[in-house]
Amino acid sequence: MHIMEGFLPLQWCIVWWIIALPCLLLGLYQLKKVLAADRETLPLLGVTGGFIFILSSLKLPSVTGSCSHPTGTGLSTISFGPWITSVVCAIVLLFQSLFLAHGGLSVLGANIVSMGIVGPLVGYAVYRMLRDTSVNVYLTVFLVTALADMFTYVTTSLELALAYPAETGGFVSSFVLFMGIFAVTQIPLAIVEGIVLALVFKYIVALKPDILIRLKIFSEEKINAARDDAS
Amino acid sequence: MFEELLEDIAQKNGLREVNTNLKLATGLGAILLCLLSSSYFPPLFIALVLTGAILFLARVDPKTYAELFIVPLWFAVMSVAGIILISGGQDIFWKWDILPSFSLSITRDSINQGIFVFCRVLGGMSALCFISLTTPMTNIFTVLRQWRIPEIIIELMMIIYRTIFILMDQVVQIYTAQVMRLGYSTVKESIHSCATLCGAAFIASWDAGEDLVQAMDARCYTGKFAVLGENRPVERGPLLALFAFLSLSAAVVIFSGNSTII
Repeated sequence: MHIMEGFLPLQWCIVWWIIALPCLLLGLYQLKKVLAADRETLPLLGVTGGFIFILSSLKLPSVTGSCSHPTGTGLSTISFGPWITSVVCAIVLLFQSLFLAHGGLSVLGANIVSMGIVGPLVGYAVYRMLRDTSVNVYLTVFLVTALADMFTYVTTSLELALAYPAETGGFVSSFVLFMGIFAVTQIPLAIVEGIVLALVFKYIVALKPDILIRLKIFSEEKINAARDDAS
Repeated sequence: MFEELLEDIAQKNGLREVNTNLKLATGLGAILLCLLSSSYFPPLFIALVLTGAILFLARVDPKTYAELFIVPLWFAVMSVAGIILISGGQDIFWKWDILPSFSLSITRDSINQGIFVFCRVLGGMSALCFISLTTPMTNIFTVLRQWRIPEIIIELMMIIYRTIFILMDQVVQIYTAQVMRLGYSTVKESIHSCATLCGAAFIASWDAGEDLVQAMDARCYTGKFAVLGENRPVERGPLLALFAFLSLSAAVVIFSGNSTII
């Protein structure tokens, strides 16, 4: 669940926009470079965006009955890097606020920072660490997704805590409180999302492994090893 | 599974023929005024006026409109409860010292703060809904071009927009088929079905993307969709209504000052 319209005070909306903008500009610059090299990437990026939209509109089977959803940024992060993902994410978040009343316009900056920047950055770091090791493809996908999801919500708690610090203990105790509210639903959910995306990956490896090789997500040997595991 | 897309409602709402800039100014102005206000009352006033406009001018079904608020308000109630417990202040009604450095309390100030945030969410949400229920995305694209947003972003937005609808159809079909075959009867089964659904959606979107490249290449695509952008002229009635709404709301913001509910 994104922060909704009107929840953050004006000054914090502005702060998060100021943090989000340089990342978006960097993403835009990279996007232009990628597209100048290969125009075919544009529709592909569009498809990725559509996929993120659909995934984050899906309601996951959740243990506690909350209405959380996958962030869906994992695959895009792995294939295009975190900065381009942040641009795609910004567009998806805008569409979600306009199509589903999910999120908001003044808080868009804050939501871009949590779902479009911090989550993908963490996911990308995990992916780069594990890519060239012998760690199984599915485990990598599980960790990337679960951690990206978890850190998205850690950032959301941070944003809420900074805007509404506690009287005693200030920012820290308020952060702990918001983390507590989220942790109940979010830790099981991040794990479920990890499992689901790992299974999605298994499905893609079985049916259309050429996509993964063409996107250079994993090396051919690793995909072949994963196919052998599956069969 | 999916909430009805607001886009479908926006395509046939009663305010469709009003100039896009005016509608955006109404929504964005209302959001800004809600954020500038330091009392609970102006956001409530804005929520009331815009809800009236959505229900009576745009003629949106009241039930659909009410359902939009359920999820965000649930989240808002949870977070507002948190804010009430931690923000402290004068006139303590209830206090619990859990740890030496951490205590929960309910005070006059914290209740005021909580209600203020809750009203601001109501105001902001209704302004957001006003934009999404009255302005189809296709009109927003035209306006974005006028605002000189980089062409590359608009292109990307249009392609994502298109893909969403292709995917949505497929996902709904697959989901219905899965439900009919008891695909979501147990937790384990649901996780499996959900994964198959996402996987199928990814592959389908990939195929759709490849088809799109080929179809556009065949039509000499060079990186710019030539779309006939049309925006309705600014008419006097809506312009006056916008002006009246914004100045009245601004007056309410100024005169209600810091007034609190208790």
